[in-house]
Amino acid sequence: MPKKILIIDDDPAIVRYLKAVFSDNGYATCNASSSMEGLAVVKAEKPDLICLDLQMPGEWGPRFYRNLRKDKELKDTPVIVISGIDGDHAVKDAVAFVKKPFDPEKLVGIVKNTIG
Amino acid sequence: MNNKLLIVDDEEGIRKVLSIALTDSGYTVFTARDGKEALDIFHKENPPIVLTDIKMPGMDGIELLKTLKQESPDTEVIMITGHGDMELAIKSLKYQAIDFVTKPINDDVLEIALNRAHEKIRMRQQLRQYTENLESLVREKSARLVEIERQVAVGQAVEGLSSAMRAMALDLEGGLTYFNEMPCYVSIHSPELKVVAVNPLYRDRLGDKVGCKSWEIYSGKTGTRGNCPAGQTYTSGKGLRTRAIVKTVSGENAPVMVNTAPIRNQDGDVELVVEISADITEVKRLQDELDRSRQRYQQLFDEVPCYISVQDRQFQLTAANRRFKEDFDVKQGAFCHEVYKHRVEPCPNCPVVKTFEDGRSHHSEMVVTAKSGERYNVLIWTAPLRNASGEVTHVMEMSTNITQIRELQDHLSSLGLKISSISHGIKGLLTGLDGGMYLVESGFAGDKPERVQAGWTDVKTVVDRIRKLVHNILFFAKERELKRSPIDGLNFAEDVAATVEAKIMINDIDFIRDFDETIGTLNIDAGVVRLALINILENALDACLEDQADKEHQIVFRVQQNTRQVIFEIQDNGIGMDQETYENLFTLFFSSKGNKGTGLGLFIADKVIDQHGGKIGVESKPGHGSKFKISIPKMAPKSKQSKEKKE
Repeated sequence: MPKKILIIDDDPAIVRYLKAVFSDNGYATCNASSSMEGLAVVKAEKPDLICLDLQMPGEWGPRFYRNLRKDKELKDTPVIVISGIDGDHAVKDAVAFVKKPFDPEKLVGIVKNTIG
Repeated sequence: MNNKLLIVDDEEGIRKVLSIALTDSGYTVFTARDGKEALDIFHKENPPIVLTDIKMPGMDGIELLKTLKQESPDTEVIMITGHGDMELAIKSLKYQAIDFVTKPINDDVLEIALNRAHEKIRMRQQLRQYTENLESLVREKSARLVEIERQVAVGQAVEGLSSAMRAMALDLEGGLTYFNEMPCYVSIHSPELKVVAVNPLYRDRLGDKVGCKSWEIYSGKTGTRGNCPAGQTYTSGKGLRTRAIVKTVSGENAPVMVNTAPIRNQDGDVELVVEISADITEVKRLQDELDRSRQRYQQLFDEVPCYISVQDRQFQLTAANRRFKEDFDVKQGAFCHEVYKHRVEPCPNCPVVKTFEDGRSHHSEMVVTAKSGERYNVLIWTAPLRNASGEVTHVMEMSTNITQIRELQDHLSSLGLKISSISHGIKGLLTGLDGGMYLVESGFAGDKPERVQAGWTDVKTVVDRIRKLVHNILFFAKERELKRSPIDGLNFAEDVAATVEAKIMINDIDFIRDFDETIGTLNIDAGVVRLALINILENALDACLEDQADKEHQIVFRVQQNTRQVIFEIQDNGIGMDQETYENLFTLFFSSKGNKGTGLGLFIADKVIDQHGGKIGVESKPGHGSKFKISIPKMAPKSKQSKEKKE
């Protein structure tokens, strides 16, 4: 069974992009366009890794991250931050910070190192 | 010395013998036969010594003695007595005869008697001399005492005058410190026109003239007895004020303003004259200096790069500097809030109010409106102005025009904001572009046409967004002037509608045109107004797309008019706005659309409409949609035209 990656980003073009990249590399994906939706999806889908955009309407990525870490079952889920914001350390123990625009191969490399 | 001597005897033989003997001794001798004749001669010749027989017919010797002593106590009388007349002789001594001789007359005895008489006269004279000397001494001494008294009094007067002046100068300190330096020569003059006393400055500059003539210091016509100020004052009995030239110790001629005042005694006679002279050159120099510093203050007041005004407790302007008058409509008695802000009441947070309350300086920043209609950001500082008793009666307000600084600051901060916002936006767009390209490439490679299709749609969307962003940035980066040209209003509206219609229809949203067909010609910069309207129409589209509510969405584009204006109305029934969005609607880089919004759209729309002299009105309710009402004058208003030219 393929490892599952949750993509949280409000831009549908980027969601489509990431989905294509990950599925081409043998991963299953699910997605959410806001952090509220993201939490629900995390609980329902139990992803192996989360790709998180930091700046979204309604709620900021960091808040989602804190809520995620409060949940005992989910708190160990690795998170990769993919954002256009420079030098943001709001997400402390993220596996990696990937700046937009990103090199898809490097992103896949990070994912492979994290969850195999 | 009076050598006269009168011999009185009824015996001629005795008269003769004595007469001869005494004439020999150096006397001028007169003789009389009886008392009556003796008195006649005495009255005529007034001899100091009378020699008289006692027993005589008619008036006897005793009687004569008594009369003589009564008439002239200083006359010495020697009595001649017959043998055995001792009793009479003693009686005569009682009546103050000096001595007596007995007949026959012994020359030696007579000589002793005469010597005694002379001695008495001499002693009396000496006594009188002493007495008289004493009296004159007392007179002399007391006169000197009076003089000293008088000088002391005069000295006190001078001192009192100087201390009064000092006190006056102290009282006037601050306002008139130069009074301290004012050189006044003070002198007191006696009726004999002599200088009685002078003050130290007089002594220093004009010399110690005490005891000199009152007119000595003056040159020219004033330097005479009758024409000197003191002399004239004694003559007229009135104080005077005149200009004169005095000779100083160093030999210079100094012009002075002389004031005199008579000092009267109890009888009303002028006893002394006080003369006070002020050195005019010095006064003039001080006055010039004062004028100069006043001028400097005025210059400073006028030239400082601030608006300075002085206000009373009612906030009425009592003074304003030139710059203030240049930029604001300052009328006499106008109110600060009226001039600065065109308000009827004082402004809230007025620093002047605070200064009146606590007497301290306060500052605040305000936006004021000049008479040209331009709005300035000013930094206001206040300072209390106090009266002599320390009460704050006025407040000085200094306002520095910091509009340019603020504009620069706005520009800088918006520039910073712009850069970070744009860079973020561009990163998102580039990522989106990468995504589209990836989908297209991998779609072709894996022969997945639907993936190519999706990727290509993304590329188009992203490119469209990039185009819009670049367009807005270019617009923002350059403050462009309006290029007005006449355009048919209806055509213009149709053109705008056509641009957005397709996009709206694709999303299954109704687009309704509601145009007044009699709009006619508009004199606007069509390019930028079109951009503004499209921005708002696209916002309406987004608002409908965002709305999750299950309803038929529609956008209405209306064009109406009144006599002066054309009114574009864009109404949607989308999500509507919350309070924050509503308030920040036209703020630069505020966006409620996350990555999709640049935060430039409405900011630019607002600017464009404002440049045209129009305005954008907004009504919105969350869940019910929004209505934007854009009114623009059909023709360029005059003030806007001139302003555009200036820019």
